[in-house]
Amino acid sequence: MGRVRIAVERRFLAGFLPVVLLLASAIDRPAFSADRFPLALKDDRGVTVRLAVPPRRVVSLAPSLTEIVFLLGRGGSLVGVTRFCNVPAAASGLPKIGGVSDPDVERIVALSPDLVLCTTDGNPRDKVRALEEMGIPCFAVAPQDLEAVFTAIERLGVLLGAADRGRVEAGALRRRARLASPSSRNADKPAALFVVSTAPIIAAGEGTFMDELVRLAGGRNAAARFSGRYPRLSVEGLVAAHPDVIFVAGMAGVERFPPEVTRWKEVPAFRDGAVITLDGDLVTRPGPRLVTALERVSAALAHWRAGRPKAPAAGAEEKR
Amino acid sequence: MTLGGKRSGAVFPLLAAALLGALALSAATGPVSISPRAAFDAIFRGTDDTPARVLLSLRLPRALLGALVGGALASSGVAFQALLRNPLADPYILGVSGGAAVGALTVALFLSADASPLLPLCAFGGAALSALVVFLLARRRSGVSPERLILMGVVVGAFLNAVIMLMVTLAPPGKIPGALYWLMGDLGLGTPRRVAVLFPYVALGTVLLYLLSRGLDLLLLGDHAAFQAGLSVERVKTATYLTASLLAGSVVAVSGLIGFVGLIVPHGARVLVGSGHRRLLPAAFLLGGAFLVLSDTLARAASPAGELPVGAVTALAGAPFFLYLLRRNGGNP
Repeated sequence: MGRVRIAVERRFLAGFLPVVLLLASAIDRPAFSADRFPLALKDDRGVTVRLAVPPRRVVSLAPSLTEIVFLLGRGGSLVGVTRFCNVPAAASGLPKIGGVSDPDVERIVALSPDLVLCTTDGNPRDKVRALEEMGIPCFAVAPQDLEAVFTAIERLGVLLGAADRGRVEAGALRRRARLASPSSRNADKPAALFVVSTAPIIAAGEGTFMDELVRLAGGRNAAARFSGRYPRLSVEGLVAAHPDVIFVAGMAGVERFPPEVTRWKEVPAFRDGAVITLDGDLVTRPGPRLVTALERVSAALAHWRAGRPKAPAAGAEEKR
Repeated sequence: MTLGGKRSGAVFPLLAAALLGALALSAATGPVSISPRAAFDAIFRGTDDTPARVLLSLRLPRALLGALVGGALASSGVAFQALLRNPLADPYILGVSGGAAVGALTVALFLSADASPLLPLCAFGGAALSALVVFLLARRRSGVSPERLILMGVVVGAFLNAVIMLMVTLAPPGKIPGALYWLMGDLGLGTPRRVAVLFPYVALGTVLLYLLSRGLDLLLLGDHAAFQAGLSVERVKTATYLTASLLAGSVVAVSGLIGFVGLIVPHGARVLVGSGHRRLLPAAFLLGGAFLVLSDTLARAASPAGELPVGAVTALAGAPFFLYLLRRNGGNP
C-alpha cells in the first residue's frame, strides 16, 4: 500500500504526495468503488492515463496482465489477449492480437478497446506509442519484484473499477508470500540455482524474479557470482557454482539436463537428486501465480533442510 | 608468393608453438581453480579428483575441439577461395550454413527435446544435402564454373534463409533457444566423445585437400591454363568441392556456425607463407586452430556474465588483427 502512486484528478489537492492522496481518499470514502470515475492514474512509464468511465473493452498485451485482470474479476471486459495468454482457461478462448513482442496494432485497433494494458518489459515501445496516437489509452505496468506485483494488482484494480477486489486479492497474496518465507534468519541457506534452459545452461541471475524467489524462500542464488540477469554457464561454471538444489523453469521440453552434465556428481544437486522442475510460466510471469512458485520453492528448500543432517558426510569428503 | 618465402623458415615452428600455447592457455583458464601441481598430477599420474576431471573431460576436449574446428574451417576456406577464385569465399558461401541451420532447427522444432543428440547429425545432413544440391544445380555438361557455383550457392542460401526465418517466427516460445545458441557457434559441447567423432573427418578432409594442393595452385591460373598444364580440371574441382563441404559440414555439426575464421585466416596465412597451397594449407590449419582456441578462451574468461558467443569474439578480436596483417602487406591479400 505504501508505494501506491495514484493521482485522483482533483485540483485542490494537486501538490500533495500521491500516496497521501490515495490514503486520504481511501479513509474519507469507505468504498473506492467503480463510480470513483473519472480518474487519472500515472503508469510505470510516468504517463497519466485518464478514464471517464470504467473500461468495458480491455486488451491485454501480456499473459501476466491477463491473469491479473481475471483475478480482479474483470475477465469479462477482455476483448483481446496475446497468443501466450493461457491462464485461466477462459483466456485461451479470447481473440488473439499477436504475441508479447509482436502485437498486431491493426488487430488491436479493430477491437476498438477503451484501454490497453501493456508492459515495458517485452512490449515494443513503438507499437504502444502507435496505439496511443490512435487515441487508445495504454497503461503500462512493469513490476520488478514481488511487492511491485502486488501493488500492480491494486492499481489495476483501481483502473478497472475493482479497487476493493484488488486490495483484497493483493492482501491475500501478501499473506501467502509471508507464510512461505521462513521466519528464522539463521536457518541453513542452501545454494539454489534457477535455470531457464538446460542445454545450453542459462541461469537466472540477480535482478530476476527467480532470484527473488530463492532469496525469499530462504536460499541464496548460486548464480549470483555471475553478473547479468541471465548468465550462460559452462559445465565447469556449474561445477564451480556448487548448487545444493537446482530448479528448472521448464519451457517446452528443455527441462532435462543431458547425461554428460548430470554425471558431474561434484554438484550436490545432481549427487542428491535435488533437481526440481517448475512450470516455466509460473516463475517468469510477473503475475499472481508467482506466489504459488514461491510456495513451491520454499517447500523444496524446507525439504532440503530436513534432509540435511543425513547427508553431510558425503559432501565433506570431496572438498579437498 | 615471394614475400613469404624469405622468412618462412621459422614460420611453421612458430605457428605450431602458437597453437600449443593457445591450447595450454585454454586449459589453464576457467572458474574452477586448478593448481599447476594438480594439473601435472592429472595428466601424468592419472589422479581422479574434481580438478583432474575438470581438466581432462571439460577443458582439454574443448580446447582440442577448438583447434580442430578452427583448423578445419581455415583449410576449407583456403579450398573454397581457390576453387571459386574469389577472396571473399568462405566455407559457408555455398549454402552449407543454411542447410545446417535448417537441419538443426528441424530437430529442435519437430522432434522431442530428448532427441537433441540428433541435432549435430541432422545439421550435418542438412549441410551435406544443400552442398550437393548447389553442386548439381551448378553442373553443366561443360563442367562446373565458379560463377555458376557462387550464383547457385547464393540462391539456395537465400531460399534456406527464408526457411530459417519462417521456422524461427512460427516456433512456439521456448522451443528453439538451444538451437539458436548453437547456431551462433558453440564449443561448449567439447566432450571427449565429440572430439573423437570429429577427428577422423577433419584428418581425412585436410589430408585430401593437401593432396589436392598442386591442383589448387593450377586452378588459380584459370581453368584453361590449368587444363593446358595437364590437370584434369573437373575432377580436381569436384574433389575439392566435396572435400571442403564435408569438412565444413562436419565442423558445423559439432560447433554450430562460427564465422570469420574460414574467411580471414586464409588471408592471414597467405601473408605468412605465400599462396602455394602445399605451405598455405598447413599454415592456415595451424593459424586457424590457434586463433579459435584463443578466441574461445577469451569468450569464456572475458565476461563475468557467463560465456559469450565465440563467433562474436572471433570477429571482434580477429578483424583488427587481420586488418593490421593485411595492411602491413601493402593491401595485397
